Amino acid sequence: MSDDKRHHLGSMLARESLIDRDLQATTESPVFRMLPFAQVVKVGGRSIMDRGRSAAYPLCETLGEALELHKLILGTGGGARTRHVFSIASDLGMPTGVLAQLAMADALGTAHMLGTLLAPHGVVAIPPEMFGHLLPLFLKSAPGVIYNGVPPYSLWEHPPKVGRIPPHRTDAGCLLLAECFGCKGMIYVKDVDGIYDADPNQVEDATFLPEIHVRELKAMNLDTLPFDRVVLDILENNKLVKQVQVINGLHPERLLAALNGEHVGTLLRAD
Amino acid sequence: MTSDILTELGRDLLMGSLSDERLLAKTGQTDTVQILPDATVVKVGGQSFIDRGRAAVFPLVDEIVENLGTHKMIIGTGAGTRARHAYSVGIDLGMPTGVLSVLGTFVSMQNARMLHYLLAKHGVPFIEPAQFPQLPLFLAERHAVVFFGMPPYTFWHKNPTVGRIPPHRTDTGSYLVSEVFGTRNMIYVKDEEGLYTADPKKDKHVTFIPEITVEELIARDLQDVVVERAVLDLMQGATHRRSIQIINGLVPGNLTRALNGEHVGTIIRA
Repeated sequence: MSDDKRHHLGSMLARESLIDRDLQATTESPVFRMLPFAQVVKVGGRSIMDRGRSAAYPLCETLGEALELHKLILGTGGGARTRHVFSIASDLGMPTGVLAQLAMADALGTAHMLGTLLAPHGVVAIPPEMFGHLLPLFLKSAPGVIYNGVPPYSLWEHPPKVGRIPPHRTDAGCLLLAECFGCKGMIYVKDVDGIYDADPNQVEDATFLPEIHVRELKAMNLDTLPFDRVVLDILENNKLVKQVQVINGLHPERLLAALNGEHVGTLLRAD
Repeated sequence: MTSDILTELGRDLLMGSLSDERLLAKTGQTDTVQILPDATVVKVGGQSFIDRGRAAVFPLVDEIVENLGTHKMIIGTGAGTRARHAYSVGIDLGMPTGVLSVLGTFVSMQNARMLHYLLAKHGVPFIEPAQFPQLPLFLAERHAVVFFGMPPYTFWHKNPTVGRIPPHRTDTGSYLVSEVFGTRNMIYVKDEEGLYTADPKKDKHVTFIPEITVEELIARDLQDVVVERAVLDLMQGATHRRSIQIINGLVPGNLTRALNGEHVGTIIRA
């Protein structure tokens, strides 16, 4: 037993406060990549799946081709149903953590639909509870896996500074997963060509930004982004996945190109 | 896609962008309900408390039991010494933050299990995140539950800005439980009186700070603080849990007094 009457275990962090800044700086080392051959593809809920057959079928056909060549981890969002449950739950006085908990169900529904369409290609839909731990197994055995992109923050979601919408939604969930597993790439499939200086669905002369650094994009302080705003912070702190590409899934051939490393949408970089 | 069954907010959310601050502001216009206004979240430190063993833990357990009739306690546990060891080995082996978060969860769970067995004869259950829907029943029936303090982010844990230690650990997980349920109070049971100008275990020339606002505390930019910095950030956006108290659980009676709303340690307010 040591002087301070606590039982310590010998290690470089023993006795130390983990909140101390100097100590935190010493906790750096090269990070091991668990699934460097896998690519994460987030298929938009509202932007793709809610459009129904006209958008989802061609994309699924392309995904089928892609699965012959690439190992894919697919995530989806809850789209319009999540927006609806957010509005009802806000009206009923539910806090952010409850909104996050509710959102899981919608994205899970969308994941089941996308999983059904991709079943002929051997894609397995994995329940969220076992997803993280069994991911390496499933990805070695199947060409692709699908899950609801929602990070498991649930009741532990961070209350945002403005309003009550959970900040870590499916765009964030997919990027966090790609980073933890050290995946090769992260592609957001949306219904716009990439990032614009304004929402191209609302503003006609919005300017397309083919490539931009997170720092620049933050400085522009745009009113809207085609993904969860917290993605910018996550990308800045990422150590392995230092860029993402946003592409238009209404032109499915761009997905094949993006998976091959081609620049067909907006490249958002943090390196 | 307009519909009569959608509220105005519903229509805005359906059509608008969730990255638009003006739209987000509209979602905060109704008051949130306090789901468990009579409960208090009590976080028992890992390294600062449970790792001290019987000498520290048994008297605190007795005090928790004495308060079962008068207070409803949601008791979270820290991780502590073994988490530090696991983080240290894990960082050397190249583990990402998400895996380190899983390792921290395991240690926090061990501590929760031990505290739970000490309280078991009083019918106090240990609940994992999946069992939180039963929390209100257990509180009504048994007046306390034990949970592990780590938030269940696991592989989805965000990287810290500096280094690799998961930034949202058991202080944060416990705090978020108190915020989401709108509990009456959030008490951190540690082995120091509260917040000091530096770590009192390493520096003899420190000053005790009995009360401070989050803004002042962030402005002071201390090298070390008594709770995870993420708690301070989250408090600034919080709806319900705008203050926390850090107390010295080694002093008998402090927990009871803090549960009764008395100021016995450091109170941090947003």
